[in-house]
Amino acid sequence: MERFAQSTVYGLLQGGLYGLVGVGFSLVWGVTNIVNLAHGALVVAGAYIAWELNATFGLDPLLGMVVAGLVLFGMGYAVQRGLINLVMNAPIFMTLLLTFGLELVVVNGLVSTLTGDYRSIPTGYASRGFAIGEVRVPYGRLVGFGLAVVLTVALAAFVGRTRTGRAIRATGMDRGAARLMGVPVAHVYAVTFGLAAALAGAAGAVIGTVTTFSPAAAGGFTLRSFVVAVLGGLGNMWGALAGGVLLGVVEAWGGQYLSGTLVNAIAFAVLVAVLVVRPSGLLGRPFYEARVEAG
Amino acid sequence: MRGRVGVLVAVLLLTTACGKSSGKAAGSTKDSVTIGAALSLTGSLSREGGLTREGYDQCAEVVNAKGGVPVGSRKVKLEMRYQDDQSTPDVASRLVEQMNSAGIKLLLGPYGSASTEAAAAVVEKNGQVMADSAGADDKIFAKGYRTTFAVLSPASRYLSAIVQAVVELAQPKPARVAIVSADDGFSKTAAEGGRDEARRQGMDVVAVEYVPNGTTDVSSALTKIRPLRPDLVLGSVHLAEGVAIVKQSQELGVNPAGGFGETVAPATPDFVRTLGKGAEYVLGSAQWTPDVSGRDDWFGTASDYAAGFRGRFGRDAVYHNAEASAACLALVMAMDRADSVDPKKVRDALAGLDADTFFGPIRFDETGKNTAKPVYVIQIQDGKVVTVWPKGPGAQPLRWPTVPFDKR
Repeated sequence: MERFAQSTVYGLLQGGLYGLVGVGFSLVWGVTNIVNLAHGALVVAGAYIAWELNATFGLDPLLGMVVAGLVLFGMGYAVQRGLINLVMNAPIFMTLLLTFGLELVVVNGLVSTLTGDYRSIPTGYASRGFAIGEVRVPYGRLVGFGLAVVLTVALAAFVGRTRTGRAIRATGMDRGAARLMGVPVAHVYAVTFGLAAALAGAAGAVIGTVTTFSPAAAGGFTLRSFVVAVLGGLGNMWGALAGGVLLGVVEAWGGQYLSGTLVNAIAFAVLVAVLVVRPSGLLGRPFYEARVEAG
Repeated sequence: MRGRVGVLVAVLLLTTACGKSSGKAAGSTKDSVTIGAALSLTGSLSREGGLTREGYDQCAEVVNAKGGVPVGSRKVKLEMRYQDDQSTPDVASRLVEQMNSAGIKLLLGPYGSASTEAAAAVVEKNGQVMADSAGADDKIFAKGYRTTFAVLSPASRYLSAIVQAVVELAQPKPARVAIVSADDGFSKTAAEGGRDEARRQGMDVVAVEYVPNGTTDVSSALTKIRPLRPDLVLGSVHLAEGVAIVKQSQELGVNPAGGFGETVAPATPDFVRTLGKGAEYVLGSAQWTPDVSGRDDWFGTASDYAAGFRGRFGRDAVYHNAEASAACLALVMAMDRADSVDPKKVRDALAGLDADTFFGPIRFDETGKNTAKPVYVIQIQDGKVVTVWPKGPGAQPLRWPTVPFDKR
């Protein structure tokens, strides 16, 4: 019982982090139809920014997270506007190649400038925690989970209620119609990508605080994001959080009652199971499948 | 549009083609001999691959500064040729094949058992000779290869050395031991060695849990272990999993009285840097420490080696550096003894090598393992790596039992 309760709580917290990592990936995929293979590299970049600010100025990673988010928003906007927009009409294979190439550039750029060392942002609180009976709740992960929820609410409110947010949704639903209504599509795509990059950066700062990272971790984050996005339903912010939490809890349970080496297999088994029962993901609407692809 | 796409494809192809440059045919010339190595310069093992490269570079510099290796009436300098195996065994074996086509017969090993195992098969087939610096899995030496020689102690000794050290030094002795192991060949072999030794010493091995190689989340294993109340948690792991064990034990309140002992992680500088106070008391195994006794004509003693390394790189050498330099040293000594750079003669000289070096004794058994050298046990004390076992002039007293995380 102690094991079950502990693993459930830890899995929930871990799942919040997965959600935070995956929500931007899901947003970009849902709106621009780009599977951004460089997403994990953006997460790692966010972790490095927060780490550097902490090492140089002693800035707390929770503040560093804001800076990481802003910097990555700018980078994300520029990359989408200047680079990825060039291949928006090309076959999906091209966008995959381009984002894969970007991932290589970012990851190997980090290795050559900052070395492949493992790093972690030292704080006095991240590894401490409190206990409810036999169940330990670490502060760092609790903060990460809280942030995942807050940022998801904020993102959902932004996309649902603001003018820019509506433009993002409209562009995601039907690019041609949005353009005819006067929506500046290239700008909207870039804002979307910038937002996703900012969220990835924030996730990176939290991950850098509660665990270790190195440039080589980028691929793993992209893989998790993929599972989380498809589990939750593409382009659905709540879906990403739900997908993340489901993944976290199932992995934690799987680790308790099956072999600990099977976590990746468990993640994909969950993915397959959900797709069989609900092909549009947990909270996805079939609407997105029927989206009109207009040039 | 199409033009831009074409450019992008070309750029990507170029990016992937990087690191595969073959260069002109190499081998040995009148005054230099080319030594090849496939190294993990990118990918998941890039950190350790980089340390290995530094060790090889240090060796080449020291040897070349002394004019080179005396072979016959001349002295040949070492010319290192590295290629990036991207932390992938398949690539390592392909690179070794390419080096053979380029006439490079004398090799130094890649980083890690998986790549070394893949490379060793090709080395054997081609009649090349490889001095292995970082492939410790006993499996590599169970295949009857005659041309791969490892200067480092075999994997099965890594964790068992920690058990032996604790049995000899700790008061009170731990009775219940839990083992967390990564699921790669090297870690599994080391975990089995540790488990067997613990049982032989009369300890109760309460759990052996496996986690994915390279993971930063070992919470499942720790959650399983915690209710079993072990006195000592042993990790047969690399750096990522090793850091995760300590970090997540803090989170989950796993506080064994004897603390933690982990194979290769604690001796690397990143371990203390990422864990801070959490790293205190953690035991680790090391192929080498600056306290090793022994000396050779090229590097002098272990502390001479450490000083030379610090002079060149501006920081202390870790055992990954030293084992790489030692593999290179073995090759150099073999060339010297054979009076030749011919791979067959160098191979025979390696097989008969019996040398005292800055790395400790180097003597190979018939399978190519260096069984003469012990594995050293270190402990993190006040943020520094100190040798605690075997007892000797440089060894410090073991700090035992440990102070719980929240009281440090």
